[in-house]
Amino acid sequence: MERLATAWAIFQGLLIEALPFLLIGVGIASLARWLAPGGAWLRKLPRDPLLGPLTGAALGFALPACECGNVPVARRLLAGGAPLGTALGFLFAAPVLNPIVLASTWAAFPNQPWLLAARPAGALLLALLLASVLRLLPETALLDPVLLEERRLSQPLAEVGLLERRTGLVGAVSPPPLPAKPTRPPLQEVLQQGSREFLDLAALLVLGCVIAATVQTLLPRSWLLAVGGAPTLSVLSLMLLAVVVSVCSSVDAFLALGFAAQITPGALLAFLVLGPVVDLKLLGLFRVLLQPRAIAITAAAATVAVLVLGQWVNLVLL
Amino acid sequence: MRALALALWGAVLLGSTLSGRLDLLLNGVFHPLVGLSGVALLVFAGLVLKADRDLAMGPGRRLSTPRATQLALGLSIAVALLVLAIPPNPSFSDLAANRPAELGEEAELSFVLPPAQRTLTDWVRLLRSQPDPSLYAGDPVRISGFVWPQDNDQPQLARLLVRCCLADATPVGLPMRWPAGQKPRADQWLAVQGTMAMEEHNGQTRSVVVAEQIRPIPRPRRPLEP
Repeated sequence: MERLATAWAIFQGLLIEALPFLLIGVGIASLARWLAPGGAWLRKLPRDPLLGPLTGAALGFALPACECGNVPVARRLLAGGAPLGTALGFLFAAPVLNPIVLASTWAAFPNQPWLLAARPAGALLLALLLASVLRLLPETALLDPVLLEERRLSQPLAEVGLLERRTGLVGAVSPPPLPAKPTRPPLQEVLQQGSREFLDLAALLVLGCVIAATVQTLLPRSWLLAVGGAPTLSVLSLMLLAVVVSVCSSVDAFLALGFAAQITPGALLAFLVLGPVVDLKLLGLFRVLLQPRAIAITAAAATVAVLVLGQWVNLVLL
Repeated sequence: MRALALALWGAVLLGSTLSGRLDLLLNGVFHPLVGLSGVALLVFAGLVLKADRDLAMGPGRRLSTPRATQLALGLSIAVALLVLAIPPNPSFSDLAANRPAELGEEAELSFVLPPAQRTLTDWVRLLRSQPDPSLYAGDPVRISGFVWPQDNDQPQLARLLVRCCLADATPVGLPMRWPAGQKPRADQWLAVQGTMAMEEHNGQTRSVVVAEQIRPIPRPRRPLEP
């Protein structure tokens, strides 16, 4: 009974600490949606294989949102004709490379400054890798067909392969049509969507806090130490946890806090880097952007890369 | 319903701040953020209520509510009501047992108070920064904390340090020599007066508090140390 009371207190502590950060994240994502980024500047973003994803990642500081907020923004970038690498860089790196997530990571781990540098660096590396891998696929095999149709409307005809064209004169190099100026959604709709997003994520947060509080108090400590102390096993188990828990990147650091004392540093970093890119909730959200094969490639590449990263960190720090 | 759920979460955050519940859950630096977020959520709930009414009356399209969202809504309302109804009452010795007792680098002492004014945490930090028991033998000790049972030793008097929230509570404890025949109960809060002494433990000399006057006290309003 006493254990249950302790678990209940830890649950409340985690939840109450994380809710303000979730609110800020959803608020900024709604604001970004309302301000509706779009227009001709999207097409002027760099196309370079390295510079493109880096620019996309840096956009996270301008449009800070956790991973659920940034999927719609990434869709808007792609539909508006932004270079593929830039949009993918934004999609995969922006959930970590933004001020809210860095602030919550610092709030949770003020005594571990290495994590504050390693988390964004790991996320950036992962985004570069995923963008490079996915660029190998042709856009028709990569992007969701509906999104592809919208994207074609904003792309210069000359950039689209002959077989991919559905309209226009063959061989003609016509000036690119200016995309329609994005319309601003009414405030009521933004509020409704924001409230739904907050409550959906709060439910996931509740489940995550239940798992974290249970693991910390009710599971025998010897089990935790046996799993958490083994370098490879701890990385793998925390990766699995990140995929299952599906908590937003703006608050996942608080959940990691519950396990931090019992696990290897590599496992901690793996949890914080993999969660924003691959989890059960995102696999559903990504369907508005990518084709199932591209999602499978993303999940597989991210899993392997994060496992290697976690192992490497353990090698250096343990 | 969404407005109700948002308002309940707002009430949880604001209520916890005003009632002092946060003192038991979070490090003090986060209290203003939680309070402000509670107010913001209540305002958000009001705006959503107004937007729902406007959309219901106007010609604008209504967003349908998927089943998963309805479940999330129900879970939010139920959990927020539970949190409001059942205040936290953790066992401090359970919390302490779940975490390794380690102090970070920031635990260095910046200055040293006279012995009788040192808190339990001050004593632990001092003993870790200058672990020479002979320096402190005979010093008067006036400390308070909760009783933290040990596996192969007498119970210690301890406090919990919290950097962020209760999930990272780290115990700091002082070895005690309790008066003969007295066995303090785990989790009990005590104010202890006594003196510092030296004793042999596992082949090493260590500082130990010899308790002379022991007085049970209620759990302090701010039981967590930053």
